[in-house]
Amino acid sequence: MKRLLVIVIIVVLLGVGAYVYLNRADTSDGTAPALAGAPASAEVLARGEYLTKAADCTACHTVPGSHKPFAGGVAFKLPFGTIYSSNITADEANGIGSWSDDDFVRALRQGVRKDGQHLYPAFPYTSYTQLSRSDALAIKAYLFSLPKISQPNKTNDLSFPYNQRWAMGFWNAAFFKSERFQPDPAQSPQWNSGKYVAIALEHCGECHTPRNLGFGLEHGNALAGEELQGWRAYNITSDKVHGIGAWSDSDLISYLATGHADGRGTAAGPMAEAVENSLRFLNPSDTAALVTYLRSVPARAGKDPITIDAQAAPALASNNAAPGGDSVDTNHAGLKLFEGACASCHQWNGKGQQTPYASLLGTRGVNDVRGTNVTQILLHGSNLHAEGPSIFMPEFGDAYSNTEIAALANYVIAHFGNKQGTVTPDDVAARRKQF
Amino acid sequence: MLSLSVNGQSHSVDVPDDMPLLWVLRDVIGLTGTKFGCGIAQCGACTVHLDGQPVRSCVLPVGAIGNRAVTTIEAIGNTPSGQKIQQAWLDVDVVQCGYCQSGQIMSAAALLQRTPNPSDADIDAAMSGNICRCGTYVRIRAAIKQAATGKQEILQTLVSAPEGTAP
Repeated sequence: MKRLLVIVIIVVLLGVGAYVYLNRADTSDGTAPALAGAPASAEVLARGEYLTKAADCTACHTVPGSHKPFAGGVAFKLPFGTIYSSNITADEANGIGSWSDDDFVRALRQGVRKDGQHLYPAFPYTSYTQLSRSDALAIKAYLFSLPKISQPNKTNDLSFPYNQRWAMGFWNAAFFKSERFQPDPAQSPQWNSGKYVAIALEHCGECHTPRNLGFGLEHGNALAGEELQGWRAYNITSDKVHGIGAWSDSDLISYLATGHADGRGTAAGPMAEAVENSLRFLNPSDTAALVTYLRSVPARAGKDPITIDAQAAPALASNNAAPGGDSVDTNHAGLKLFEGACASCHQWNGKGQQTPYASLLGTRGVNDVRGTNVTQILLHGSNLHAEGPSIFMPEFGDAYSNTEIAALANYVIAHFGNKQGTVTPDDVAARRKQF
Repeated sequence: MLSLSVNGQSHSVDVPDDMPLLWVLRDVIGLTGTKFGCGIAQCGACTVHLDGQPVRSCVLPVGAIGNRAVTTIEAIGNTPSGQKIQQAWLDVDVVQCGYCQSGQIMSAAALLQRTPNPSDADIDAAMSGNICRCGTYVRIRAAIKQAATGKQEILQTLVSAPEGTAP
């Protein structure tokens, strides 16, 4: 009996020890590599504005069209309920106006808010932990320089046990490590800057890195692609077939800065937001650094890899105004829908009529046999406000039935990807619920 | 200042690059034959030609045009295919309320230019993006075929019927 008690005590102590050890915070300030857009010599507010944009705080903390920057309230529908982003203006009652520098830095780098409660990793402290203290405080200074907005926070709607914030301590122990960015002296300064932009600021991995069963990031599989909130964040490793290894530097730079690269694709959904709110504001040198880093990410095929046919026979056999090359048993319903609603912008050869942003040939969307993003874009349209004119595609979710959307998606995959799409009306119904 | 070639004439227009061509045509240059329908490239009413290709001017930023030639309904009758289409349109009396018809004619003229003898499938592919709420589709199809072949496809109207024949 006594022996059992000793064993129990030892196990508990080991558990507590492991919990404390795995949750230990890196308290170092950290040093950020040089960023062209936020030089150390610049004023703190200028640096803060640049870093706030580069970290894309607004995407989650500003409801689009609300004109209430950083007042929170954006809903995130997750498999276990809905989380709302919080007010991060300097409003004392509803925002973070009463937070000290240390409070802010702890939230960003350990995922713990001022009152000591854990934050959910929908807030990417898992990435921001890499930020240097100086950069974190520049962001705080910038946020505090903006108008206070007294908008109360919305209560999360999470089911048990996910509504237990203390449980995140165990999640952190398993999947999170508090640590500052460590420059790699073996790599160029540009590569180091690019890695900092990718990981600490833009937090690319939060969408593009696969997640495990516990919703933790699979760091060994970084940037190999994942599906999140019904959208596919594509493989952006250096894999030449399934990733972006075959893209030229100018393709990548153009995509990041404008949301479009000819023959490669146009950003839509959450990526369009990332371009619109964040990536396009990067200094060209920082974008180039980001590209340098992405090129070094080990090639991986990822889940459900997409193989692009950039020379899809049916599209090549078509001209801008008339279809050709579809197989005899082609999906007629899909063709009719494309003919009436889509061809006037996308054209039968997939080159895009009024704007190159409407080109389809060679994009990953039309080469994904599951049609994930194609279905999303058909249902919800697409909006991109980057440089130049606004790019938009109307939504067809209210106009067409699930059967029609599925037929259209499969036609697009067949005609522009030269593949047999597998989209079913049930898939479309499920997508409608997800968004 | 942008320089635009519209219907063979050069126009200097002081407009933002992202203004849709349709706005420039109607409100700046004053060519109101091209119509605004939906504003999202779904109805075809705003169709004009850019170097002979049909485009939806409501979503075409004027800055993207460069030195390509714009042709509108006002001048399509000067092209051989446009002339044939317009004559067939009169002979068949396609038009009902008429709002969509400048777009229909522009799409049809472009079709005839690249496919002188279009099949039903060709007509479907070229004309599906042009919507007509009056439902003149049957007469549109007949008029395109008549313009292509010169043969009467359906009953002709009084307007151009030979004198003395019964209606």
